Amino acid sequence: MSSRETRAAYGFLSPWIIGFLIFMAGPMVASLVLSLTDYDVLTSTDFVGAANYQQLLADPKVRTSLANTLIYTVLHVPLTMAVSLGLAMLLVRAGRRSAGFFRTVFYLPTITPKVAVGVLFLLLFNGQVGLINEVLGWVGINGPDWTSDGQWIKPGLVVMSAWSLGSTVIIYLAALQDVPRDLYEAAEMDGASPWARFRAVTVPMISGALFFTLIINTISSLQTFDEVYTAFFGSSNQQTYGNDAALFYVIYLFQQAFQFLHMGYASALAWLLFLIIVIITLLQVRLSRRFVYYESE
Amino acid sequence: MFIRTSRILVAALLLAGCGGVGGSDSDSDENATVTLTMMGFGTGDDIAKTRFDAANAAIAPSAAKASEGSFNAQQFLSAVASKTPPDLVYMERRLLGTYAAKKALVPMKDCVDQEKIDLSQFRPAAVAEATLNGQLYGLPEFYNNRVLMINNTAFADAGLDPASFSTADWPTLKANTAKLFKSKGNKLQRIGFDPKIPEFLPLWARANGAALVSDDGKTAKLTDPKVVEALTFTVGLVNAQGGWAKFKSFRDSFDFFGAKNQFASNQLGAFPMEDFYLNVLAGNSPDVKLTVAPFQGRDGQPVDWITGNAWAIPAGSQHPKQACKWIKTMTDSPTWIAAAKARAATRQKEGKPFSGVFTGNTKADEVIFRDVVKPSGNAGFDTGVKTILTTQEAGVAEPAIAAGEEFKAVWQDAVNRVLEGKQQPAQALAQAQQQAQTVLDQANRGS
Amino acid sequence: MTAIQAPQAVVPAPAEPQHDGGRRRRHPWVLWTALAVAAVVFVYPFVWLVSASLKPRPEVFDNALVPHHWAPENYATIWSAAPVLTWMVNSVIVAVAAAAAVTVSSAIVAFGFAYFRFPGRNVLFALVVGTMMLPGAVTMIPTYLIWNELGLAATQVPLWAANLFGSAFYIFLIRQFFLGVPRELFEAARVDGAGYWRLFWRIAVPLCKPALIVAFVFELRASWSDLLKPLIYLRDPALFTMPRGMKSILDQFGQAGESRWEVVLAGAVLTTVPMIIAFFLCQRYFVEGVATQGRKG
Repeated sequence: MSSRETRAAYGFLSPWIIGFLIFMAGPMVASLVLSLTDYDVLTSTDFVGAANYQQLLADPKVRTSLANTLIYTVLHVPLTMAVSLGLAMLLVRAGRRSAGFFRTVFYLPTITPKVAVGVLFLLLFNGQVGLINEVLGWVGINGPDWTSDGQWIKPGLVVMSAWSLGSTVIIYLAALQDVPRDLYEAAEMDGASPWARFRAVTVPMISGALFFTLIINTISSLQTFDEVYTAFFGSSNQQTYGNDAALFYVIYLFQQAFQFLHMGYASALAWLLFLIIVIITLLQVRLSRRFVYYESE
Repeated sequence: MFIRTSRILVAALLLAGCGGVGGSDSDSDENATVTLTMMGFGTGDDIAKTRFDAANAAIAPSAAKASEGSFNAQQFLSAVASKTPPDLVYMERRLLGTYAAKKALVPMKDCVDQEKIDLSQFRPAAVAEATLNGQLYGLPEFYNNRVLMINNTAFADAGLDPASFSTADWPTLKANTAKLFKSKGNKLQRIGFDPKIPEFLPLWARANGAALVSDDGKTAKLTDPKVVEALTFTVGLVNAQGGWAKFKSFRDSFDFFGAKNQFASNQLGAFPMEDFYLNVLAGNSPDVKLTVAPFQGRDGQPVDWITGNAWAIPAGSQHPKQACKWIKTMTDSPTWIAAAKARAATRQKEGKPFSGVFTGNTKADEVIFRDVVKPSGNAGFDTGVKTILTTQEAGVAEPAIAAGEEFKAVWQDAVNRVLEGKQQPAQALAQAQQQAQTVLDQANRGS
Repeated sequence: MTAIQAPQAVVPAPAEPQHDGGRRRRHPWVLWTALAVAAVVFVYPFVWLVSASLKPRPEVFDNALVPHHWAPENYATIWSAAPVLTWMVNSVIVAVAAAAAVTVSSAIVAFGFAYFRFPGRNVLFALVVGTMMLPGAVTMIPTYLIWNELGLAATQVPLWAANLFGSAFYIFLIRQFFLGVPRELFEAARVDGAGYWRLFWRIAVPLCKPALIVAFVFELRASWSDLLKPLIYLRDPALFTMPRGMKSILDQFGQAGESRWEVVLAGAVLTTVPMIIAFFLCQRYFVEGVATQGRKG
């Protein structure tokens, strides 16, 4: 660790540091300060100390939305990672040109504007006439009301979210294509079964990507907004049925900030979420430390 | 760099602290040529465009620039926070209270005096909806009525007569709903009567002789026994038709704006609905047999719950005098009539009927429906339009409320809880009452 | 899980592109069936969208995959209703600027975190990742105020300029890939007298091209579909991007309750198609990156 190296390092990091100081530090600190006020953007602000945080702890909607968000994350992240990995592994075997075509196909829903995906979700998952329940009916299952029954809204959303796992597939594909071929050959020659090859070669070699997607998907999952908002809160028509089961944390935050003009309270909500995400991420990092392998270390 | 950032941060907090009020509120020269900026309005159709051009002509050589798009809170708040509010803003009347209470909008009094605007040309309910604490905050535009729409075919099927159907007697309504309701096993086939809750709870409350909030918008009245009764009754209707989950899913599956809508496909018996839907039906399924009737309260009198939009002037608007002149013309009866004529001409070219527009301006309505609207050839629709016209007189609106959005969210949540079976009506409304009153008290502090 | 040592030869990659020829293809039809089923599921939203956009209004939601009546005039309606071409060009400019800026700057910063060992590295990286953990809703207005201070609030600049300073997501992503480059390569180059920038530009970047392409494409899509920033920053319709423009069309055609969904969906297709084309074009670079990478080393 030479000071020359340190200086060079900070040289490389300087773009981010500058950007952070100009664009991020200010707003982040501002929102923290504002969480201690009754800021509503339009009138003068009063300092209220920890009142917002006290209110937050007593607010039943905070508990509801937090529970909704956590349940969704716990279902969504492992599902996404597993399915994406499966698809990526299929693509790796499929050959170069086909991989390109399928990669586009899997990424397509991510490119499709959310308004269309939201509308489609409400159509396909409709409990009375939707395609999903029709297909379930073929195998004798009486599908639930995915879009209106409180118990089934979150599972329905988890399934819908699987549509947009194209990004994760692409990352895994890039990582899988990085794995040297001869490692597999060596393992095969040693008589390893496909599962053993997967465990001993694939997983460690892409563990960096697995780690990344775990952290990223968890962070973004806990901040889910667009998909759910479009499907359940998008138009003021839908707002009236704002089902408690679909109230995700950031949606509640958004309502408080921009509909009710309680920007100070919303800032407190934001920082509570920040705290929760930090804790969860630290746990994940700690747990992953044993499993992640980097060739450069 | 850091010092600069801190200064920006301080500036940001100071701006936040000072809020959005400020800036001069008088043009330096009333006759200067300026460009008015606005938010929340787009010149999509003839009705909008004709009036827009007329208003621009009234303030020529100045002009207003259209904003492209409906009102968006984030956009508006960002503009206000940075002290660059638009000169004009167009939003739903129900939102006025929230922003007016925060002094983000200027009272219209000066504008009305300056331009000698005749407020009596506007329908009283619309004006009341835009008035907070005795001050008017917007000039009304549009008057959305709610009337009863009946599917004659479904009624015939169930042996009911549309002419004698009424929402006045609730036990009869309940019985009729059961007759109209059809289901097979797990799947609903026809909703007999859709009470449209939570959103129409105010209508049902008024039908029962109560209101959700006092007329001055300051006291919540959610635990009024009549409100509880209204909620219990309407939830009962939903529960008798498959329960909320199935009911809502089935309703969501309607081809609402299409040719196979719930009237054409006989999936609905009757429901209270905003008047624009008449146009939708006329356009998509003109062969539908329907009857339009006023929604009746339990006392047999019609109840027409109305909503609509309004033009307001944000605090900090750079050109309030010009803005005032502009919106005066925008909401004037000659302007409305010219717009209606333009629309009628377009419709005629398209071979479609023009069923009028409910402007909220009494004088304009009179002329439009007498001279511009011609019989469409579809008796059902023409009668429907006439019915709505007379019902307009019974218009009543929810008063402007200082924390309107939040208040609405509180009682809608209560209704949703009851619909989902989590609470009984009395309980849910009691909880809502407490929350709502807290919200209102906070918002009305210092007013 | 022990890692298997990869060969360390510093030999240029074989000219032949990678096949997975080493793997025995057992039951290839399983692979293709699975991919086909997955492809159908993933392509369905887009096919539905295109189909619905070509239907006349009364039939938009009739669930038929092939329209009974064709209404290509929906596209003509949009095209004549608004300066769609201008908006598309705007979107292209902004998206390419955003993607290019973020890829380059994030790569530089990522290298700083991946290669160098210096005091404060982990804390600083935690800060970087931490910036992703605060919901954007509460920093939106303070950020707007900053851009307003800089006099750029009504321009397109805020839509991409912050990307000049790197973005946490891409820094994290690219860092993972840089960490996969064997340290020996860098050491060898240092011994040969290479400066830090050379290490970055001549070794890390070429070897991790897939990651950079991924970052570029992801940001391209994110910028292309972003509605919020254009909504609060842009006032002049001539500067609108596609989503912002489409929203104004949606609002226009949604007035008086007349939801002209067929036009809205046509707009959604117009927004999506350029992205698909861009994605297809970038596929070439995906493959090139993989092919030239060859084995590690």
